[in-house]
Amino acid sequence: MRGMTSKQRFLAALRGEPVDRPPAASIVSVATYELMDRVGPHFPAANVEPEAMATLAAGAHEVIGLDSVMPIFSIAQEAVALGCEVDWSDTSMMPNPATHPWEDRSVEMRLPDGFPDSFLEDRYVRCAIEAIRLLKKHFGDEVMILGKVMGPWTLSYHLYNVQEFLYDTLMDPDRVRRSLEVLKVVPVVFARAQLEAGADAIVWADHATGDLVRSTMYRDFLLPYHQELVPQVPAPVILHCCGPTLDRIRFFREAGFAAFHFESQVPPEKAVAEAAGRIRLAGNINNPVTLFTRGPAEVRQEAQQAIDAGVDIIAPECAVPLQTPVANLEAIVDACAANRRTGHGTEAAS
Amino acid sequence: MSREEEIRRALFEHTLGGHAPEVKALTEEGIARGMDPADLLFGGLMPALEEVGRRFERGDYFVPEMLVSAKAMQAGMAILRPLLARTGAKPLATVVMLTVRGDLHDIGKNLCNIMLEGAGFTVVDLGTNVPAEKMLAAVREHRPPIVGFSAFLTTTMPMLKANLDALAREGLRERVKVMVGGAPVTQEYAEKIGADGYAPDANAAVRLARRWMEERGHEASQAGGAPAAAAPGRG
Repeated sequence: MRGMTSKQRFLAALRGEPVDRPPAASIVSVATYELMDRVGPHFPAANVEPEAMATLAAGAHEVIGLDSVMPIFSIAQEAVALGCEVDWSDTSMMPNPATHPWEDRSVEMRLPDGFPDSFLEDRYVRCAIEAIRLLKKHFGDEVMILGKVMGPWTLSYHLYNVQEFLYDTLMDPDRVRRSLEVLKVVPVVFARAQLEAGADAIVWADHATGDLVRSTMYRDFLLPYHQELVPQVPAPVILHCCGPTLDRIRFFREAGFAAFHFESQVPPEKAVAEAAGRIRLAGNINNPVTLFTRGPAEVRQEAQQAIDAGVDIIAPECAVPLQTPVANLEAIVDACAANRRTGHGTEAAS
Repeated sequence: MSREEEIRRALFEHTLGGHAPEVKALTEEGIARGMDPADLLFGGLMPALEEVGRRFERGDYFVPEMLVSAKAMQAGMAILRPLLARTGAKPLATVVMLTVRGDLHDIGKNLCNIMLEGAGFTVVDLGTNVPAEKMLAAVREHRPPIVGFSAFLTTTMPMLKANLDALAREGLRERVKVMVGGAPVTQEYAEKIGADGYAPDANAAVRLARRWMEERGHEASQAGGAPAAAAPGRG
């Protein structure tokens, strides 16, 4: 098979079509201190200024060699635009929502006045959209450009406070459904704006994870929303959900997502079996041990295991620790390059 | 069955079910009937929360079930805490707990706090997004034998080691046992960064803390000293 561009490779893998080699990807953040040093912009600029954000995101391809770039490093863009307080000033930390307006039960759960225009005009939301526009201008159709949105479950964590939200799943499920209902339009609006700016696909983070809730809670609360909302996004949508998720892949594959980005807590061969070819898989190189504390040889070995298991797109499992060595991220690319295929076969690994 | 026994059993069932108003009413009734506060705690509330913890460890329960039970237990503890303090029951030890800098997730830590407190420990909770300097100040002030660090994100896990390094740099590392936990944390990671223990959940945190205090008491008695702390009475 002739060589493919990064974008062709990624899109083919998303469709389950043959690829010249497995794509190596940035699905969520691969921002690291070393990458920042190499390309220039650091936090907080790379979280709040479009040019800095795009430059750091571009480093995923231009420095590391990954097939995709994804500029929205934090999870806080929507939250701040919807009324959470977020400290963007820290140079060494990912910004996180620090206040939760709906934690106060007397506060009416509703979107801010002027939504969606006011949302799309928010400084931090606009920054992400503009960064995607810059990346599209820079890469054209060579490199896969991913956008990212938070789904209604994760947005509820931010607006409502995780602890209160989870408590209410048992004690006040109607309020939980009300939250999901109010927030459901947000990821669709944000995703469409990112696609219009040039994103080729959308990562949809919704953390109904086995670390927190049982799989039937995903099925009963969130799956109907995913089935309603994902078709409203006119591009492939990749679900991201951290933690142990093996028991819910059978529900994820019914939701309409093109792929599921999963963590190392799920053995890749088991994930592939659960996906049953009905949803593509991206992941699942361990962050805290393999990428953060080990070396390129161990990273290549783990990436090879994921490739051998049949994972379609090879990537870190979640946002990588900022101290992760770039050489370890490059090792993911090396492992994928060593699996260059001729036709449907695989050339001998170099 | 005596009414006292009924109250213990009902406290267990209602804590397990997360029924805070019932737990509050039963605790008040028990006290009004002259039951020992420690009896209500260790005969009803704590066994229920330990059962919740066991179900969580087995994968039968998830965080929402833990939260509703913990909230129910807190309804009872709000009544019992001042009474237990008045009886002079000595705490097992002080534990300083925190979520590391850059991380605002605290559910797991909060559940650990409730379990540790119920088990007889005094918990000093420093909250979330805690810088190393604040942790060091708390260790100097409270002189706890145990500290617990929580990190929920792979991006904040490196702060676990940064905290351990800070303790060592300030000459405090040998003074405390350090347990670490949080969704992405593993035993392997805990060992790699030099933590003394890893607690995957609240029950495990209590077991670890109890074991350390037993070892400490054993060492003290072997050295001819008194145990580090006395266990609270069980009614």
